[in-house]
Amino acid sequence: MPSVEYRGMNLVIPENDSEWREHFKLAREQHKLMLRACTSCRLMRYPPSHGCPWCMSLEWEWKEVSGKGHIYSYEVVHHAIQPGFKEWTPYAVVLIELDEQRGTPTPDEALRIIGNLVTPDFKAEAESKVAIGKRVRVVFHDLAPDFALPQFTLIDEPPVGRVWSLPA
Amino acid sequence: MAGLKDRYCIVGVGETEYSKRSNRSTRAMAVEAIKKAMADAGLKAADVDGMMSYQGGDSTPANWVSGDLGLRLNFYMDVFGGGSSTEALIGLAMGAIEAGMCKTVALFRSMNGYSDFRIGGTGARAAQPVRGLDLAQVPFGMRSAGQNFAPTFMRHMYEYGTTSEQVAAVRVAHSKHASQNPKALLKERVSVPDVISSRWICKPLHLLDCCVETDNATCVIVTSAERARDLRQKPAYVMGVAGRVNKPRTDFHWATGPISRVAGYYAKDIVFGQAGITPEDVDITGSYDAFTFTTMLQLEEYGFCKKGEGGAYVSSGIIELGGKRPNNTSGSHLCEGYTHGMSMVIENVRQLRGRVDDYCPGAAEGKHSYDYSPGKCRQVKDAKITMNLGWAMPPTGSALIMHN
Repeated sequence: MPSVEYRGMNLVIPENDSEWREHFKLAREQHKLMLRACTSCRLMRYPPSHGCPWCMSLEWEWKEVSGKGHIYSYEVVHHAIQPGFKEWTPYAVVLIELDEQRGTPTPDEALRIIGNLVTPDFKAEAESKVAIGKRVRVVFHDLAPDFALPQFTLIDEPPVGRVWSLPA
Repeated sequence: MAGLKDRYCIVGVGETEYSKRSNRSTRAMAVEAIKKAMADAGLKAADVDGMMSYQGGDSTPANWVSGDLGLRLNFYMDVFGGGSSTEALIGLAMGAIEAGMCKTVALFRSMNGYSDFRIGGTGARAAQPVRGLDLAQVPFGMRSAGQNFAPTFMRHMYEYGTTSEQVAAVRVAHSKHASQNPKALLKERVSVPDVISSRWICKPLHLLDCCVETDNATCVIVTSAERARDLRQKPAYVMGVAGRVNKPRTDFHWATGPISRVAGYYAKDIVFGQAGITPEDVDITGSYDAFTFTTMLQLEEYGFCKKGEGGAYVSSGIIELGGKRPNNTSGSHLCEGYTHGMSMVIENVRQLRGRVDDYCPGAAEGKHSYDYSPGKCRQVKDAKITMNLGWAMPPTGSALIMHN
């Protein structure tokens, strides 16, 4: 699986991609969101990287997280840049703050991840439903035998903090 | 850099036409911009022995351009980069001269940013394979600069109550300034309702919150204060410079917060420390206006107002010609044309000389009316200190303070 075609893009993950290859493979095989955890200081990090941003250790292991979190910020793309996204407009890109490790090790740090806000069947969620604070869970869009793209969908749980969206 | 204050300066500036169809190569445009800057400074081919440029695979290297003008270089370097490179390279040019590697450096940026390699990310850029760190964002339709920055802007609105109307005032001010700039691509003044009724690009960005993709080349020439003494122009002395200062986790800056904080939070102490001044001492700002929001975020982060009060600051009239501290007096990226930051440094150099190229008949001799109505003057009276705020992305920025 050196590359995956998705929405007209060529996603290239060569054999020697020591950051991403396993990340997307685990997503596909287990449908679990797995993050790298430092075996020295135990802190998790995203995106997958070789060194620990906090203690510089190069030793790590995969650790499962719940895949649940809330929308920390977002945007809604009306004018798509990539041709394969034009049919999807308007679509929301969301910055998700995961439940685990919030405010750790310093108050403004967290495990945050970019995705699209989608319906469970991977359509772009209605723009009117996107708002900071709303709860989400990860869903896995299988795109190849060893590649799934983690996305996020709304869940019916109390929001985190104030619910806010850009005034219409 | 303590000890270099006032020892280096910008002595020449030049640019090509701002257009949407240059019909020529980046090499041809670079040569013209450098030649104009050399003529502006009064430098001959034998006087320029250093050259630097920045690009993103969309330009021509220095050692192709230098030969066209008969320059034999003792130093050249082309770096990979866009916004925030201008100020950083001015600092590096000072370092190269200080190290004895060369004596005078021409810095250029040349780009067919509309007709060829669209800076907004469409066309060739959109078709590039996605690999490495790009896999964290691009597969989700987050590729262009606006798409990359928008969650920062949105979070600022959430945290501080910043409104679209407040931020639109940046476009209003810059369009006012562009109406006094014969070079500007977009000379028509716009209102706040014009901005917020323009179509959505990527919420919270309307079309008029975004800059104008442009074909253009720009050049500034850096040399020592000693060398500058017998040149044509009044030098613009570098008081302080900060280059490519980062927030933590620049690989994925969303991981650290507050995400509404930008790199100026770290750069300001470096640059103001070198210059030995405070924001109150600055007469003119040149803030990177790839978007209306980037100007606001930088002005507040560098301390021209309190953090979170950027919306009120940019909509107060302070940043307009005639206001207390005008920002981007050329109309800059939003209206003059997008150049990856160099043009805002050029404008401030001309302001410090008292010779901006506005519509005043005696502009070239420094005779200005200070009438800021459309099609008239854009010179700021008695401008003594200017500051440039360079932006690459929310977690990376540069800064430059100059005086005359």
